[in-house]
Amino acid sequence: MAHDRKAGELDRFLAERADQLMRTAVLLTGSREAGQDLLQTALERLLRHWRTLEGDPEAYLRRTLYNLATDGYRRQGRLRRKLLLLRAQTQPPVDPTAEVDLRDALVRMLLQLPSRQRAVLVLRYWEQLTEAEIAAVLGWPEGTVKSAASRGLRRLRELAEGWHQTELDNTELRGQRA
Amino acid sequence: MNTDVEELLRDGMERFTAGVQAPAGLAHAASRLRRRRLAVRAAVACGTAAVTAAAVVAVAAGAGGGPAQTGPTVSRVHTTAYVISRVERALVGQHLVLHGRVSGVWGPSNAWTYGPRNRFEELTGSDCGHASPNGGCTHRGGSEPYLAVGTALIGGKLTGVYVTYYNHRWSQLPEGSIPSSACSQTGALGMAGPSIPTSNWPAFIRATLACGAATVTGHAPIDGVETVRITGSPVTVKLPPGEARAVREKWVRSRWTLYVNPQTYLPVRVSGSSRTFGGPAPSTYSTSVTDMRWLPPTAANIAQTLITIPAGFQQVSSPADQ
Repeated sequence: MAHDRKAGELDRFLAERADQLMRTAVLLTGSREAGQDLLQTALERLLRHWRTLEGDPEAYLRRTLYNLATDGYRRQGRLRRKLLLLRAQTQPPVDPTAEVDLRDALVRMLLQLPSRQRAVLVLRYWEQLTEAEIAAVLGWPEGTVKSAASRGLRRLRELAEGWHQTELDNTELRGQRA
Repeated sequence: MNTDVEELLRDGMERFTAGVQAPAGLAHAASRLRRRRLAVRAAVACGTAAVTAAAVVAVAAGAGGGPAQTGPTVSRVHTTAYVISRVERALVGQHLVLHGRVSGVWGPSNAWTYGPRNRFEELTGSDCGHASPNGGCTHRGGSEPYLAVGTALIGGKLTGVYVTYYNHRWSQLPEGSIPSSACSQTGALGMAGPSIPTSNWPAFIRATLACGAATVTGHAPIDGVETVRITGSPVTVKLPPGEARAVREKWVRSRWTLYVNPQTYLPVRVSGSSRTFGGPAPSTYSTSVTDMRWLPPTAANIAQTLITIPAGFQQVSSPADQ
């Protein structure tokens, strides 16, 4: 039997959970603007089913977010990532001595991963879900989740090692100049 | 090292999203977005009205074109002309009422046409099909009317109207907004929508064939009948400023295909799709399939081809205000 949800319930739900969902959307897309677009699109879908939705609305919204991020937003995501990378490559740092923390670098590297791998890593390390739970959220076989997580992490490690090497080279270069 | 990367990634995510807050009025913004998408849908539906007729004409041409597909061009032209004449007799001579059942992302819909009368009505379907500004649904379950586009008798005169049942509003459609063929951008765009054309099908078909807006592309089985398939040329149209703002896209690309019964020369199905692109928002993609039935012109069937504006509905100046 469908639930007859009161309209005010949605506002209360968003007041409690919107910030957290917004953070997830930002991680999935790489920017606040794109994250807001993604969350709004997911919310638009939730609105369609709000009164008749059975079960947890947050689970529905979360699932929609991830599905959009790995499916509908795929092409746009690629373009966005390219633009972010291009921007990162063409903008010189304001202060050349201010090294970027590897933590920040890793998040940027995350945006270079394919959308499915990125979604799995966000679910794993941001939402802290198990692989079985991730499989349930995305509607994928558990083996697919494991494979995507493994490939994503492997790629991140490669990128991180490359980042370390570049930092070492830069440090040496600065030392020589000094 | 592995654990380090995982922990650093977790920390990085925290840092990256620190201070990120959802914008205020998120529910209202999403609701507005949904209404705008629906408005664009409605706009396409309005533009569709007479365009589908072109498809029917094109189909007719396709039916005749079947045997000539491997023959010389001259043969195909003769066959096409022959088929057009057959279609004219089939449509005009029999005075049938056309009923189309539409499925697709538009929601379950019905389209009726009879001469200059036409009614396209979209229903809510089985779930909450649309949202009110407070996040609730305006209808719940069932097949309740959502919007209607077509003709109504107002003061004894056949008038184009647009009705939105969820907010009890209606408006008159501007005269001359119905394209005379699928040759124009508006007409081709409308072909990809869910409604069915209304008046003067033969002229519409002739014009569409003459400008080459469709070609015979083969056969396809529908309900056990080997129909002739006619494919309209894809068209890319720059969205009008209002619609472009609504969907945050710049362009729309539409395709349509028509299927005609080679025995009766009547169209049996039209399918269409439209996709917006070129802007910051995700593409809005809509598809529809209209299965057509030809019914005798009984009083009951003819009555279905007119929109009745329910008492108490408020008239507004244009569909944009709905």
